[in-house]
Amino acid sequence: MTIVKSINTVCLVDDDEIYIYGIKKLIELKQLCPNLIEFRNGKDAIDFLINPDNTEELPDVIFLDISMPIMDGWDFMESFSQIKPNLGKKITIYMVSSSINDDDINRAKNISDISDYVVKPITYDKLLELFRLAA
Amino acid sequence: MPDKIYTNIGDNQVGFDTLADHYLINKPLYKLIESTNTGIWERSITTNDAWWSPKFCELLGYNYGEIETNYLFFLNKIVHPNDVEMIYTAFQSHLKNQTPYKIEYRLLTKNQGYRWFEVSGKAWPDHTGQLARMIGAIVDIDAKKHIEINLRRSEFLLRENNKIAHIGGWEMDVETREIFFSKEVNEIFELDSDRIFDLPTAINFFEPGYRELIVEAIDNAIEHCKAYDLELILKTAKDNIIWVRTKGVPVVDEHGHCVTLRGIFQNINDTKIKELDLHNSLNLLSDQNKRLQNFAHIVSHNLRSHTGNLQFMVNLFEEVTAPADQKEVFNNIRSISESLANTIDHLNQIVKIQTEINNEKKELYFKDFFNNSLNAIENNIAETGATVNVDFSACPVVNYVPAYLESIFLNLLTNALKYRHPDRKPQISCKTYLELGHTYLTFADNGLGIDLKKHGDKLFGMYKTFHKNANAKGIGLFITRNQVESLGGTIKVESTVNVGTTFIIKLI
Repeated sequence: MTIVKSINTVCLVDDDEIYIYGIKKLIELKQLCPNLIEFRNGKDAIDFLINPDNTEELPDVIFLDISMPIMDGWDFMESFSQIKPNLGKKITIYMVSSSINDDDINRAKNISDISDYVVKPITYDKLLELFRLAA
Repeated sequence: MPDKIYTNIGDNQVGFDTLADHYLINKPLYKLIESTNTGIWERSITTNDAWWSPKFCELLGYNYGEIETNYLFFLNKIVHPNDVEMIYTAFQSHLKNQTPYKIEYRLLTKNQGYRWFEVSGKAWPDHTGQLARMIGAIVDIDAKKHIEINLRRSEFLLRENNKIAHIGGWEMDVETREIFFSKEVNEIFELDSDRIFDLPTAINFFEPGYRELIVEAIDNAIEHCKAYDLELILKTAKDNIIWVRTKGVPVVDEHGHCVTLRGIFQNINDTKIKELDLHNSLNLLSDQNKRLQNFAHIVSHNLRSHTGNLQFMVNLFEEVTAPADQKEVFNNIRSISESLANTIDHLNQIVKIQTEINNEKKELYFKDFFNNSLNAIENNIAETGATVNVDFSACPVVNYVPAYLESIFLNLLTNALKYRHPDRKPQISCKTYLELGHTYLTFADNGLGIDLKKHGDKLFGMYKTFHKNANAKGIGLFITRNQVESLGGTIKVESTVNVGTTFIIKLI
């Protein structure tokens, strides 16, 4: 049973293995979404998004971490705003981080492509709400 | 009236009564002299008889004849008591040594108290050749004298002020570029004698780096009539290095051209050095504060990410039912517990840096510490085929905390090996040198390099890694920076992707 039918693919960009495991397990258990793709840093995610071969598999929602090696969440958002016009699909981005630093929260609020800033740990209820809002 | 006195005046031996009779009778002479505001007086040297002209009496506010014609009366009642001795000395000297008799002293006027007069006179011999009487004149110089006294007082006060404030004036003729220094400026510059300087000589007293500043300010003042106020370092004639403040103000002629430049020099060495010390302490404090704040963020963030995961897994544990899933979740909880322990250990290392600051600094030989670090990672060196070049000849020793130096070398070495370029063997070069009293250490490799435009600000942050490297933990450079900065040093990095990285560390 898929609660939110319009969310077909969710994408996790995070270097925290345990967090990824948890989200995957939760989505699987609650059958929130049939497809899930994951990247350990921003660069791999951007590479995937701009690859024309992946046009069919573009995600509906991205859960984006801030602190990652190679390309962090902020750098990802910079690249994303450049490639966005060519994607041909509306992607909702949530920034998900364990940082409660006001600087980070305000910075995220000032980026229009970020729909919300969520502080880890993410609960099932919150996850559900985010899926609904993105639909 | 005194008795008649016979005397020679000039070449004419004329017999006449007292000067008074002669003066009063000779109307043209009388009128002429009375018109000059000059009082005439006469006294006998042998007796105390004296005579005061009408103008003399008038200058003291009396009518003619009102002042007793007695020289003792004059000395005792009219002359200011403090001036009597001076008058007597001048008189004696005039008689004995024929020194000119011209003195300034105070006389008591009828209604205006004491006023200053200039009194001149000359002793004349009688027909026997003996000096018998003195004839002279007095002029009222009260106004001038008061100006003079005030001026002297101001000068004194100014000089004392200048002395206390270590301040003095200077002036430059724009056309000739000749500079005049006041006495106090000469003292600031520790010059023995007054002399006029040309501009380049004066400029050369300033330390390199400050010369350009003063030259530019002077050019600006002359060309654009712009005043300046600068703090500069000066090397005095006796090779003392001091801070001075100097001001320059252009004097502009009617055509708007700067014709003269004048201003002040002030020795501000003591206060400036205190100010710089204070500034340094403030910087040190604010750096320390920044590090503490940074540390608080790190603690908060790093612990939060683990506790967040722990909460997440515990919640998930309640959701999953399959034993395999439960086992998986539990394994994650175990791994979080390990990570937590690791993080706490890393945080402890940082706390240790703060406590180790107080450890004793020692004279350390770079070579010994470098070799110790090399030995510790001997296997890694051999494995990667790295070559290491060191040159500590320019600065072989440093006064440093031993544990820090060891840690710095070890971190930089492992860093260089960890991020070596896959296409070539690592080449590491380490050098030390002295610059402006500071000890520098450079550490260069030919490794992967890093895009500083992208990652420069995060390079020394905790848990920041930039390469796809399983060993990257992002703690080494963070600790290195903390150690260097806690002792007041700085660490900088230059890097080109695919070429290599150079760390430049100012140790102390």
